[in-house]
Amino acid sequence: MSNYFKVNEKCNGCLACVQNCPADALNSEDIDDKRTLFHNMTRCARCGNCWRVCPQEAIDFRFLLENKWDAVITLNLVRCKVCDEALYTINFGETLTGKLEAATEPLCPRHREAFSLLAKAHYFPGRSRPEKEK
Amino acid sequence: MIVGDLKPLEEIVSSIVDFRKVLILGCGSCVSVCLSGGEREARELALELAHIKHYKGDPPAFVVGSILRQCEQDLVTAFQEIPPDTDAILSLACGCGVQTLADAFEPLPVLPALNTSFFGASREPGVWQEVCQGCGDCVLSFTGGICPVARCAKSLFNGPCGGSQNGSCEVDKYTPCAWALIYYRLKKQNKLYLLDSLHCSKDWQPGGTAGPRTRIRTGIGGSPGD
Repeated sequence: MSNYFKVNEKCNGCLACVQNCPADALNSEDIDDKRTLFHNMTRCARCGNCWRVCPQEAIDFRFLLENKWDAVITLNLVRCKVCDEALYTINFGETLTGKLEAATEPLCPRHREAFSLLAKAHYFPGRSRPEKEK
Repeated sequence: MIVGDLKPLEEIVSSIVDFRKVLILGCGSCVSVCLSGGEREARELALELAHIKHYKGDPPAFVVGSILRQCEQDLVTAFQEIPPDTDAILSLACGCGVQTLADAFEPLPVLPALNTSFFGASREPGVWQEVCQGCGDCVLSFTGGICPVARCAKSLFNGPCGGSQNGSCEVDKYTPCAWALIYYRLKKQNKLYLLDSLHCSKDWQPGGTAGPRTRIRTGIGGSPGD
C-alpha cells in the first residue's frame, strides 16, 4: 500500500478522487469482486484536489505533506584513520584519486593539518611552527 | 514559476522587532525551487535573525516551519499549526502566500520576508529570467514564442525601438532586444510573414487594468453520483 496517498476507513471507492485528479496520478482497477485504488507519486502534483473533493473526507492528505525519508542507496564510508570521523564514501575517494592522480590520505581536516605540521617540522625543523593542539 | 528575493535584513528586522514570538514559515513551492523561501532558507533566516546584534533589546523567539503551498487557504487552515503565543508570522512565500496566510489567520500579523520579483524561467542552474508578465492576452503564437510584453523593456508590439543596437537593448547591452530575438526566431521558422499581419490593439483589461482578476473553474468537485 502507498506510503503517501492514504485513505481512512471512510473510503467507499466512489472514485471522485480519480475523476478529479488533474495530474492523472490516481487510477483504479476492478478485478473480479475487488476495486483497487492506485496512486502514482511521480505524477502527483500534491495539489490537494483529491482531499478537497472527497465526499467521504477519507483522504489523509498529511501523508502527502509530511512523510518519512526513503533510503536511496547505502555506500561504504572512509573514516579518519586517527579519530574515526566519517569523511567520504569509498566510491567518492576513488573518484577523487582518479581526478587528482594521487591517493589521498584518509584524514579529517584537523588531523590533516596536524600531519602537515609534523611533516614540516621533520623536513624544515628551523622554519616550522609548534604544533597547535585544537 | 514565481521568483522571489529576500528583503534586506534591516527591513525584515524592523518589521518583527516589536514581536516576542515569530513563526518563520517557508513555502514548499516556487520560492523553494528558486532558493529564496523554502524550509532551508527559513532555517537560515531564523539563525540570522536570532543574532542579538540586530536588536536594541532582546530578540524575539523564533519557530521555523514550512508548508507545501502557502497560497491555498483551505490547505494552510487545515494543516498549518500556529505555535502557542505566536505574535506574528514571517512568511517566505510570494505575495499570494503572505496574503493567504493573513486571511487564514486573521488577526495575526503576517509579514513578508521576500519581495515577489517576477514570473521567471530557469535557463541554467541558479539563473532565473523574467519571461512572462501574466498580461492575460498571450501573443506568443505570432512572436515566435518570445514575449514582447515581458522581454522588451518598453513592451513594444510593433517591432524594435531606435535603441535596439546589434541585437541588444539600449537599457543594457547584455539584455537582448526582444524584437531582434523575435525577428530571428521567426526567420528560422520561415514565418516572417507574421510580422506583416495586422492585429487589434492589445486589450490590457485581462492584464489587471480592470481590477484584480479572479478565475473560476466550474465543474470541480463532487463524486460521480452527485
